[in-house]
Amino acid sequence: MNLDDYLPAIVAGDADAFGRWLAGAEPSVRDSLRSFARVVDVEAVLQEAMLRVWQVAPRFASDGKPDGLRRLAVRIARNLAVSELRRTRARPVEPADLDDADELAVAAIAPDPLLRAAVADCRDKLPPKPRFALDARLANAGATDDRELADELGMRLNTFLQNFTRARQLLADCLHKKGIAIGEELG
Amino acid sequence: MTPEQIELLVDQVTTAHRPASVDELRYAPAWHDLAPADRERAYDRTRALRALEAALDPDGQSTTTRAIVNRIKNLAR
Repeated sequence: MNLDDYLPAIVAGDADAFGRWLAGAEPSVRDSLRSFARVVDVEAVLQEAMLRVWQVAPRFASDGKPDGLRRLAVRIARNLAVSELRRTRARPVEPADLDDADELAVAAIAPDPLLRAAVADCRDKLPPKPRFALDARLANAGATDDRELADELGMRLNTFLQNFTRARQLLADCLHKKGIAIGEELG
Repeated sequence: MTPEQIELLVDQVTTAHRPASVDELRYAPAWHDLAPADRERAYDRTRALRALEAALDPDGQSTTTRAIVNRIKNLAR
């Protein structure tokens, strides 16, 4: 499905349709912020930018080119990152950080059934405690911080993080053995 | 800080949890304790984790996507 197909429902205020659009748009918008990763918290910028996209979506007017809302999201996210640079005075803004979003070589990433099967298989092989930590993060979806998650699992924060780290490393090893490149960034 | 302590900080930054913004963006507290190169590693690790999360989710949604949708729904209430 093309991301633009979700536009009518998003404009009508359907948050679940926005979620489906986000699932396709998130990777490329995140990638567009990579050059800011040393100086701003990209996750915070990305989430705030997407909330702003949701707020302006009812007034969105297509320019006739494909993927209009995603291109707008890239522009909003990068402008917000530049604002953060100015606010925190992390370093002067360089022209490269102000590239035209239309020229960014970013593309929506389609779900891969083989990747899904491989990740699920590797997750199923995790020992119990690392799996609890990983599953807690997944189920919570950013609603609370790791300290609260650790409390819910009856762990100290450090123990929770050590288990999460172990889960991540084991997943990376397992995916690497399956020849999946995502494991390199995880490990 | 030991390399192990830095790794735990990097993993803390990879969560999708961010405090709600009021007047200005709120960063993950651990992000401020990281050197620039470790922040970049946190970015790369988060990127990989989100792909993995989307692969494990029946709707293909990462924890970032679900966090944003939940915030939108909570704001609407």
